[in-house]
Amino acid sequence: MQEKQAVLSELENAVKNFDREAAVEAAKKALKIGMNPIEAIEKGLTKGLREVGDLFGKGELFIPHLVAAAEAMSSAIKVLEPEILARKAKRKVLGRVVIGTVAGDIHDIGKNLVSCLLTAAGFEVHDVGKDAPAEKFIEKAKEVEANVIGASTLMTVTAPAQKELADAIAKSGLKAKLVYIVGGAAVTPQWAEEIGAVYAPDANSAVKVIKSLLEARKLGDW
Amino acid sequence: MVGLRKLKPMEVLDKDDLTNIHLNSLELLEKMGVKVFSKEALTILEESGADVDHKKQMAWIPPYLVEEALRKAPKSFKLCARNPKNDVKLDGSHISCSTDGTGLSTIDLETGERRPSTKDDVAKSALIIDALKGADLYYPTVTPLDFPKHAHVLHEYDAALDNTQKHFISGATYLPEEANYLIKMAAAVAGGLKELRERPIISAVACMMSPLILPLGETDAALEFSKQGIPVVAMTMPLTGATGPITLAGSVLIGNAQILGINTVIQMKYPGAPVIYSSYPLSMEVRTGAFAVSFPEATMVAVGHIQMARHYGLPSLGGGTIGSAKIPDEQAAYEKALCGLMCMLAGGDICGTIGLLENYTVLSYEQLLIDYEMYDMMLRLVQGIDVNEDTLALDTIYKVGPEGHFLAEKHTLDHTKDVWIPMLADPAPYGTWKDKGAKSVVDVAKEKAKEILATHRPTLLDRDVKKRLAEIIKEGEKGIPH
Repeated sequence: MQEKQAVLSELENAVKNFDREAAVEAAKKALKIGMNPIEAIEKGLTKGLREVGDLFGKGELFIPHLVAAAEAMSSAIKVLEPEILARKAKRKVLGRVVIGTVAGDIHDIGKNLVSCLLTAAGFEVHDVGKDAPAEKFIEKAKEVEANVIGASTLMTVTAPAQKELADAIAKSGLKAKLVYIVGGAAVTPQWAEEIGAVYAPDANSAVKVIKSLLEARKLGDW
Repeated sequence: MVGLRKLKPMEVLDKDDLTNIHLNSLELLEKMGVKVFSKEALTILEESGADVDHKKQMAWIPPYLVEEALRKAPKSFKLCARNPKNDVKLDGSHISCSTDGTGLSTIDLETGERRPSTKDDVAKSALIIDALKGADLYYPTVTPLDFPKHAHVLHEYDAALDNTQKHFISGATYLPEEANYLIKMAAAVAGGLKELRERPIISAVACMMSPLILPLGETDAALEFSKQGIPVVAMTMPLTGATGPITLAGSVLIGNAQILGINTVIQMKYPGAPVIYSSYPLSMEVRTGAFAVSFPEATMVAVGHIQMARHYGLPSLGGGTIGSAKIPDEQAAYEKALCGLMCMLAGGDICGTIGLLENYTVLSYEQLLIDYEMYDMMLRLVQGIDVNEDTLALDTIYKVGPEGHFLAEKHTLDHTKDVWIPMLADPAPYGTWKDKGAKSVVDVAKEKAKEILATHRPTLLDRDVKKRLAEIIKEGEKGIPH
């Protein structure tokens, strides 16, 4: 029991100290002592992240701290993931988001920021990376039963890939199950409307928009 | 009107700093290496003596190559215009003004509402630049969202061509195919490829990526332009704290390394190709993660880059009258004035970048004219104070004596032409201003923009050239991958 408590504290502190390596080590320890990985996340990592989030809210910490804490948490979750799958367990999360930068575009800093803020807000985020073809988004969304697909693009010339993804979502039959949200410097609200997507002008708004859709129960069920 | 710099450029980096940043840039390019997504660029670097891993798309460039490339880059050249009287000299002592670009939205001049930008906005902003004597270069302010996205560059140029006889800086070109059609259009206007090479009436932005990436399409497009002798604007845009270090020196360093990297690729293949050193950094606002183009950190990185460009003797385009305000308000005014003046004081070549709001995404016709006025005012400021027998006016002072006045003196009459005259700003007292309608500068700018649009008649292209352009655009809409 004491050992378990010590590992939970380690997980929590690793996130609070923005320490990726310590988070990974603590996650490995959690698995080693047979801790339920869901508990490791909820009573360890998330607790740490919540504290960082509170300090951020008070203006004592800043975006880079939030990103670093979310990255520490994500690194630990990667270690825990196989065990979560093996136990067929599911994290209690606000929602599951598949996110990426569309095909042809490798500008991903905005997408990374959204990922981290969503993680910090309590979402499970699956990042398909940059220059990601539509199929990659769809495949991942099916695999994780996503409630949200988010696609970013910085350039006007690659914006059409957001429409291709909209078409792919419609074709895959996932449209009723999830919300499609787009953003990035090349995106206007009108473009989002044209392709049947939800629009968010920046990372903070993306979190707000997704949360409000969730509260309005507009996120589809699997 | 291109201004002449008389004030000695302000220095934010001393000699040791310049050397330090240069040597560390060389070391990054050699030791960390640069990610190069372009096969052609990798091959060029390999054949020139760099270590290359084609699978990893990495190049490690030895310092001697980078320095050889710097020696090969021309230290002064002209940005030619459709009408040669609008040519712009880049040589470190002339200052010029371009529009800012490329946005997606426009604040409608009639309704005041923000809406998606159109080809008509490109045409209208180009026409205003044509009308403004001191505006030298046209960079597409916005992209025409009423035309196919993949062919936007062609429609931008098409709309600009009829409406301004000034040099056209193509906004970021992302594909070599786009470059080729744009070159065809420019050649059609110039009278052929040979004529275009002699007088390149366009230049083109190649936007590199931070930390140290030469992207695929942008690099390939830059090579297509260089092949035809068209100047390439090698641009870096580090976001401090996100894609670049949060410290100013670190972001100056990685941006500088990017520009040295792309310049090396270009000069190794096309020695002597004109390259402009360009920097548009953004500051991260750490409470929200939002980015701002002219908060102090971004401005200082741009200024640092301007000084690095001067150090290398390369012409620069950076910073300028930019801002993150959403409407033409006080925030827009102070952001743009401070960043613009800093860049001009630092010795930038093209440092008026007028017309856009919200981090180069929104065109405001009113702001375009307000920015132009600020730029024009700054140009006067960097003229400094001329001290000589005539300007000391000693004879006239003696003549006027302790109790006279200067109003009607010949010396005064002779020099009235040197006095700065505003286009918008109102120096009148309250009563006079109130009688004239108590207009804000934005109101005045709106009226002025409408007046220019209603009265200015640009020199149109010949009919057969226009026909040829229409054909090329049609081909381009099919031929550019989409």
